[in-house]
Amino acid sequence: MVQSIQENATVKILVVDDHSLLLSGTLNVLRDCYPQAKIATAKNATEAEEQIIDLQPDAVVVDLSIPQNIGEKSEIETGIALLKSIMQDNPDMNIVVQSSHIKTLVRIQHEIDNHKGGFTIADKMLAEKEMLTRVQYALDGVTHTKDLPKKLEIKPIWLDVLSLAFEEGLKDKEIAKRMNIAERTLRHYWTKIQDVLEIYPEADKKKDVRNLRILTQIRARKKGLMD
Amino acid sequence: MQQKIWNKIKEEFKIWRVGAFPGLLIIAFVVAARLTGSLQFLELITFDALMRLRPTEPVDEKIVIVGINEEDIQILKEYPIADKNIALLINKLQKHNPKVIGLDIIRDKPVNPGNQQLEKLFKQNNNIVGIEKVLPPYQISASPKLPPERIGFADVISDIDGKSRRILLGTKTSQGYKFSFPLRLAEAYLAPDAILENGKRDSKTMRFKSTEIPRFTSNAGGYVKEDDSGLKTLLNFRSGNQRFKKLSFQDIINDKFHPNLIKNNIVIIGITAESVPDFVNTSAVGETHRGRIYGAEFHAHAASQILNAVLNNRALLQTLSDEWEYIWIICWGIIAISLGRKFDFSLFKSILAVFAAGSILIATGYTFLVLGWWLPVAPVLLILLINVELSAFSFYKHEQAIKESLKIKIAVQERTINIRENTIRDAFSEIHNGPLQILAALMRDANHQNLSQKDLNVNLQQLNTDIRDVLEYLQLEAINNQESLRLGTGKKIDLKRPLHELFYEVYSNTVERNFTYFKTLKVKARDFETIDEKYLNIEQKRELCQFLEEALCNVGKHAKYVKRLSAIGKFNEGYYTLSIKDNGTGITCADENQGTKSAIELSEKLLDGKFSRKSISPQGTLCELTWCLSQNLCTTNKFADGVKVLFKHN
Repeated sequence: MVQSIQENATVKILVVDDHSLLLSGTLNVLRDCYPQAKIATAKNATEAEEQIIDLQPDAVVVDLSIPQNIGEKSEIETGIALLKSIMQDNPDMNIVVQSSHIKTLVRIQHEIDNHKGGFTIADKMLAEKEMLTRVQYALDGVTHTKDLPKKLEIKPIWLDVLSLAFEEGLKDKEIAKRMNIAERTLRHYWTKIQDVLEIYPEADKKKDVRNLRILTQIRARKKGLMD
Repeated sequence: MQQKIWNKIKEEFKIWRVGAFPGLLIIAFVVAARLTGSLQFLELITFDALMRLRPTEPVDEKIVIVGINEEDIQILKEYPIADKNIALLINKLQKHNPKVIGLDIIRDKPVNPGNQQLEKLFKQNNNIVGIEKVLPPYQISASPKLPPERIGFADVISDIDGKSRRILLGTKTSQGYKFSFPLRLAEAYLAPDAILENGKRDSKTMRFKSTEIPRFTSNAGGYVKEDDSGLKTLLNFRSGNQRFKKLSFQDIINDKFHPNLIKNNIVIIGITAESVPDFVNTSAVGETHRGRIYGAEFHAHAASQILNAVLNNRALLQTLSDEWEYIWIICWGIIAISLGRKFDFSLFKSILAVFAAGSILIATGYTFLVLGWWLPVAPVLLILLINVELSAFSFYKHEQAIKESLKIKIAVQERTINIRENTIRDAFSEIHNGPLQILAALMRDANHQNLSQKDLNVNLQQLNTDIRDVLEYLQLEAINNQESLRLGTGKKIDLKRPLHELFYEVYSNTVERNFTYFKTLKVKARDFETIDEKYLNIEQKRELCQFLEEALCNVGKHAKYVKRLSAIGKFNEGYYTLSIKDNGTGITCADENQGTKSAIELSEKLLDGKFSRKSISPQGTLCELTWCLSQNLCTTNKFADGVKVLFKHN
């Protein structure tokens, strides 16, 4: 999938940050990595919402501390509200939260759990390379929230997925049928489960020698999610 | 200045609004008691006492009592006194030209010897007035030889305590309208200068010239719903001891008296012997002998009151109208409360105030009584005695309470300021000990150029976390206490945030707590659906968060071997259900502990919902709290519930 985006289409990324310095820093890094990409910027929440409608980006990189409108005070609440509204209106949007206030995200845990698109968190302290990985994860639809201070808290329905897959040994198609959900939704569940178990793909997929599904089973048993 | 006074009045009013309440209650109580007649007895006693206290009046020379006493009866050796002796007495008296002779002795039948002689006297002398008895239970007529205009009834009316304070002037009987004996005497005495007429101001009463005799009404003075049939008036007894000259039968027969005593005066002939019971009970006059006076004396008082009112303007007793009586009582009641307010700080002074006010009241009541006005004293005295102390106490208590609440307010303010100061101090020391130290070290190392990239990174990261911690701490402290909830972990959460977010926060915080049975916990599942904020207020949110916290804590404390814990908030057809499920053993459903009780209270009172707690198989416990978010959303379901209940009952 990564290849398909990189090869076939121009990736569209929206970066939301009110600090010109940081904004340009992020932009430079992204431009280096995705030379073909169309990268737009927004300096406040209102602008960001407009851009999302106009541009229909593949991913949004959002800072939490932003103003609602030009000239207003930057507030974390505004960023949180923007995130909520993006997730509500675009349930498949790939989101990267690039902020120094990532702890605040525990507040919207419910929305993150239910978000179907990629959702990754990148502390502003992160090294460039790591940050780019998180952007790529998001573009790939992966959830990466292990930097949040929560310990193995899960949605009850994910347990059912684990049980059907690893206790009854069913294929995804059958699991989806039994749970009466779309296969797409089930895939989304898997990424959430893997996020909880802190299982992520290698940055370079070709080098990944692991079978993530089996790894998930091993990790889930180890953590006691299954008997 | 004006503003200041106005403020003071307003403040005072505020204190009165609460402090005066018991006093007003007492006033209402006393007024009610008086209206129902419960205070009549007290008022009559007070009336008698004040009547006795009046200054002594001079002896009334216009009336002489000729009392046939015990000694006379001994000498005559007869009783009843024969007509012969009465005729002898009248003849003796007539020689000295009395204006009128009232014979207060029953002569309906002849008492021979000498009846013819007496009857002849009755016919020949038109200045003799005789008595009859007209009121039930039995009537006694006067001598048939006396014409009706020279007969007066001698009936005496008494109050419920057996004492006489009023006189009956006239009444309807089966034989027509009759006048009383003292009225007949007064009429005869005053004729022809003043004749008996109907009143001008009050046509129902009697009048001699300009003097109208005040008519007794059923609620006059201290009386309540007293019989006011006939024409009655209050008796203003002549004050003092033996206010009428008294002669005996023997005195007259033996000429042992000054002729001027008789000339042109009223002579009342009556029996004044202990062995012949002709007494009237009274406590209103000083001369009472064991609380009673002879009938002849009573009639003398009655006749004297009319004569002196007409001739000398001596006061007749009057009362205020009901409305004015109650206005008088209530005014004094308010004075009493004011005294309580004024002296609320000192028991001694307030008692002194009661004495002073009581004395003024009694003096006023006394002065007015002397002037002929009977004011309510007893009810007011009662109010004074109770109200001053009660109000003093009430105001004192109320002011204490105000002071106390003010103190608490100040204390809270001080505490808030203290907390703020502490917060600032803590934040300062945090910054000082953490980030500033690291910065100093960094600068030092940078100066010496022995700072590796890695060290720089590590230090900067540390700096970042430290400053963030301080910010977070300040942010939490800034949350208003009324709109926040402090969790068991000490963390404060802002209740203005959406409820499902709060649930997540409560859950994450609580499952991390150091409870015994959380140690075995492997699966921590939770999913809280959003709730529209418009259905909830801060208080409900607080209670719900506390409920969730409590339920989770119970698992940590009681659910042995718990491995899985799930907390789910689900919205379904207008209802929100919060369920907490665990698979431990040991949590006891029947255990009605404090948590369960408050949960039931919460569900019933605050949310109008249902709470249940039950065991599930193979093991574990399920707690569920279900409530309706909005009546609009749930009416249909409620109706269905109602139907279910109906069927169950049938």
